[in-house]
Amino acid sequence: MAVFSLFDAEEKALEQARALRRSLADAPEAVRDGLDTLIGAYDSSVREQRRLVKVSDRLQGQLASLNQELGKRKAEAEEALANLRAAQDSLIQSEKLASLGALVGGVAHEINTPVGVALSCASHLADATDAMRKLFEADDIGIDDFERYMATARDTSALIVGNCERAAALIRSFKQVAVDRTSSERRSFELGSYIRETLASLGPHIRQAGHRVTVDCPDGIVMDSYPGALSQVLSNFVMNSLVHGFDPGTGGAIVITVDRPTSGQVRMIYSDNGKGIAPGNRSRIFDPFFTTRRGAGGSGLGLHIVYNLVTGPLEGGVAVDSPPGGGASFTVTLPQAVSQ
Amino acid sequence: MAMENFKIAATERSPEVNFDFDGCRLSLRGESYPEDASTVFGPLFSALERFLATIGEREFVVEFDLTYFNSSSAKALMNMLKLLDHAARDGARISVSWLFAPDDDTMKEFGEDFSEDLEHVAFNLVAVEPAA
Repeated sequence: MAVFSLFDAEEKALEQARALRRSLADAPEAVRDGLDTLIGAYDSSVREQRRLVKVSDRLQGQLASLNQELGKRKAEAEEALANLRAAQDSLIQSEKLASLGALVGGVAHEINTPVGVALSCASHLADATDAMRKLFEADDIGIDDFERYMATARDTSALIVGNCERAAALIRSFKQVAVDRTSSERRSFELGSYIRETLASLGPHIRQAGHRVTVDCPDGIVMDSYPGALSQVLSNFVMNSLVHGFDPGTGGAIVITVDRPTSGQVRMIYSDNGKGIAPGNRSRIFDPFFTTRRGAGGSGLGLHIVYNLVTGPLEGGVAVDSPPGGGASFTVTLPQAVSQ
Repeated sequence: MAMENFKIAATERSPEVNFDFDGCRLSLRGESYPEDASTVFGPLFSALERFLATIGEREFVVEFDLTYFNSSSAKALMNMLKLLDHAARDGARISVSWLFAPDDDTMKEFGEDFSEDLEHVAFNLVAVEPAA
């Protein structure tokens, strides 16, 4: 088999021309010279073509390698992005758990007070009873002793009953909030009381710092939605005010106003009178990991979770505003009944 | 002696070649920018020359379905087309289809450019949606 040559036809033409030139040894000089010039020019043109083909083949090969490299890099970048998204999701999950932890901490603190009071009353009553038993065994009880003991027993038992009732009521309201927060189940609930229950579980955080919360919500708005998500949204707003809005040591005010702009729609305006949000940050405030408190405990996920919950399961919208009078204001618009 | 069919699987840099001698069909599909054009086109040329010598009255259908080729492949393709054109001039019935994606103007222009140098084969430019 002949060796394959891309320029086979050109080589043959050149060979024929050279043979022709040899056969014209006796032709006039002008013909011979002219033919020599033509053959030389064609020969160099074919060599030029070979060079050009080689050069452009090399360029095209490099281009193909670069394209492959580009494809590889793109796949790598896409994988890195997917990993980042997964990491972001898992951070959001742990942030949700952390805020559930804060809720449980608040509940524990809130219940600790009535239980502590009840415990010290019970212990005081036990001591008094023990002292009475000793006097009784010594047959030495005076009228004064008896009257004092009766007063102690009446006061302590009233305090025990009152504080246990308070603890039981707290546990009842926390239980619903905690169940909603962890179960993400859809159910019917009365909006005003649910907002108050959620705020009660955040009570210690708010009261310790000396802040006031006002809820202005018409009675009888029954939602068919996800109370856990709503409770999380509200908690994150409150924690945002406490961490970012209010300077330490200054008592702030939080106002939650609810109305119904159209039938089937609920509008909740959450506002505080804190430092407000710088105009440059307003467009980024719902972005994941955006925080002005990096390194000081801010994860940058609180309001991102708010955004996800409101636009996701709650099927609503959320907007941020910094009113001229100062402070921050969030407007959450929700359907009274979600579609799924 | 019956010739065996000639097939080359596509590689990353060379097209799939399917030469069905009995069915009188030849097709090239894919991309062509091999390191060395002679490894791909050398055997194909030999097979084509042997086949054209035996073609007789049968109609030979050749299909080019290429999405990319380099300069030496372009030269090799032109050489192939010239070989076919000479065979057609000598009486063989040959039809060539040049396939291109509707949005690939470059490949369409290459087809038009090649066809200008051909006089005897039936040359068809065919716009084909690429298989998904």
